[in-house]
Amino acid sequence: MTDDSAGRRFPRFTRSDRLEHWVQVIAFTGLAITGLIQMWSESPFPKVIITGLGGINSTRFIHRTLAIAVLIATAYHLGTAGYRFFVKRIGKQMLPDLNDVRAAAHSVSYNLGFRGDPAMEGKFTFAEKAEYWSIIWGTVIMAITGLMMWNPVATTKILPGAFIPAAKAAHGGEAILAILAILVWHTYFVHVRRFNRSIFTGYLGEEEMLDEHPIQLAAIESGDDTITIPPETLKRRRRVFFPVYAAIVVLAAASVLVFLSYQEIAITTVDPPDTVVEIYTPYVP
Amino acid sequence: MCAGVFVALNIGGSDQADAQTISDWGNETCLECHTEPSLSTEFPSGETLDVTIDADRWHDSIHAEWDLKCILCHTEITAIPHDPLAFDNSREYAIAKSDGCVVCHREQEVVDDSVHAQAREEGDLEAAVCSDCHDPHYATDPPKSPTEIPETCRTCHSEIYDRYTESVHGSALTDGNSDVPTCTDCHGVHEIAGPSRGEFHLFSPEVCATCHADEELMDKYGINTDVFNTYVADFHGRTITLFQEITPDQDTNAPVCISCHGVHDIQPADEAGSSVAKENLLATCQHCHPNAEAGFPEAWMSHYSASTDEWPLVFYVRLFYRILIPLVIGSMIIYVAIDLIGRLRRRKESVA
Repeated sequence: MTDDSAGRRFPRFTRSDRLEHWVQVIAFTGLAITGLIQMWSESPFPKVIITGLGGINSTRFIHRTLAIAVLIATAYHLGTAGYRFFVKRIGKQMLPDLNDVRAAAHSVSYNLGFRGDPAMEGKFTFAEKAEYWSIIWGTVIMAITGLMMWNPVATTKILPGAFIPAAKAAHGGEAILAILAILVWHTYFVHVRRFNRSIFTGYLGEEEMLDEHPIQLAAIESGDDTITIPPETLKRRRRVFFPVYAAIVVLAAASVLVFLSYQEIAITTVDPPDTVVEIYTPYVP
Repeated sequence: MCAGVFVALNIGGSDQADAQTISDWGNETCLECHTEPSLSTEFPSGETLDVTIDADRWHDSIHAEWDLKCILCHTEITAIPHDPLAFDNSREYAIAKSDGCVVCHREQEVVDDSVHAQAREEGDLEAAVCSDCHDPHYATDPPKSPTEIPETCRTCHSEIYDRYTESVHGSALTDGNSDVPTCTDCHGVHEIAGPSRGEFHLFSPEVCATCHADEELMDKYGINTDVFNTYVADFHGRTITLFQEITPDQDTNAPVCISCHGVHDIQPADEAGSSVAKENLLATCQHCHPNAEAGFPEAWMSHYSASTDEWPLVFYVRLFYRILIPLVIGSMIIYVAIDLIGRLRRRKESVA
């Protein structure tokens, strides 16, 4: 952090965090659009978009390509979050706890005028944690139900057939929930309440820190926020973390690939075999 | 007697005089010979053609009703007695004669997308011409019996006819039910398209819907008209509908009604032998999903809408989200609104 004419800046997001966010922005928007138009494909406007995308097959192809992008981004996030949690040991601040419930209740009474002091929150506020964990929950549901529908033949080898239309219902319901949550919660907290530029610049200003993360600011000021890990400890933790992480990602990627390519989903020829009827068979009385 | 007429008309006449006489001929002139039993002519190919006309049936026919003369079609007859037909075989003759039908029947002119015209252009002389379906001497309008259409098509498509008469539609037709579709109801008449792929496949659900979405008609047979909506609501039907509307020129292998229910051999869905009966459904799915196993058919909701009785899992998942979405989003809106109110109030206070 530096003192200059523009005021103090506090680092919030690394370049990697910002890249993850951009991937999510593009993939989420793309999936929302290509998904909603499939859900409401009978309405005129979705039809216009499907036509623009080159038809239903290419719409589905784009949707699935973006879904793969989300899976890759999720695997990447598992790495960055895991590194913070197990190597740097600073992940706990993202876990929800009772303080978040208290902070939410406190904010409500403060906003309604029942108490005069605002809630004091740390690096991640109640609103931010709620959104973060909603996205984790949503991604898990969407990925599982999406993959189930992608290869129903493989799915129904393990689960009853009714799970496919059920997955479709859940995929649609969860999509609506996620889109509305982004429109209400995310839009309000980072665009309307205050336009929070930190996801683009990487930094928060002093006033923003004071308003939204006073406990973190206090920790920074007192120097409590800097944790130094001995290099040998860091090295040892990394030696365990990276192989385990690599193994999990390889295993997950392999499972998804095997699942999706496991036997044939459907024939690719225009006509099924053995449906030919002899057409010219003159009647002999 | 016939020979006598030939002689009488042939006496001393020049060609010119004969031609003038011909225009005055009535049909009875022709029938005088052509009602004789077992009258036949031989083509150079060695093939013989029965040329006896059943006068009673002719008089009942639509062409007789219109008072048409034999020579209107048989323009090659310019003298009596006349020469044998100048065609190598009966097929060549039928094709040549049918080319003349459009002189009167302009609107029925065989169009380019008729599968029969196409086959003939590709050199298949057996492909039907007008006279193969519409007997020019005995055709009536309307047809005498509802079975006349399939019986006509049977001439060339006997195997399909046999399947049809065994089907739910064909057997009902044979029993005198005229609600059921015959060949032309689905395939059209003069613009018959090739049935195996392309637009016919793509738009075939609309053909079925003509009757199966007709509530009044289906009510008579206790058949649910939701079959069409439930199909369109699912993956296959959605694909077909979008191909119809956006890319009708492209082939898709997504199944239509007949892909699962069968075409000419279609059976009632609740009959044991039906391709969509529960015990046969997996085999039907496997036509397109060869690796499907026992659980797979239930992935298709069999035209049902989810309820507590049918596909309850789907019903409860929907119910869950129907409760969860307003609950979560509603809470978010309330929390956001309270935060906004607080901020606005404090701003006002600090200004004041």
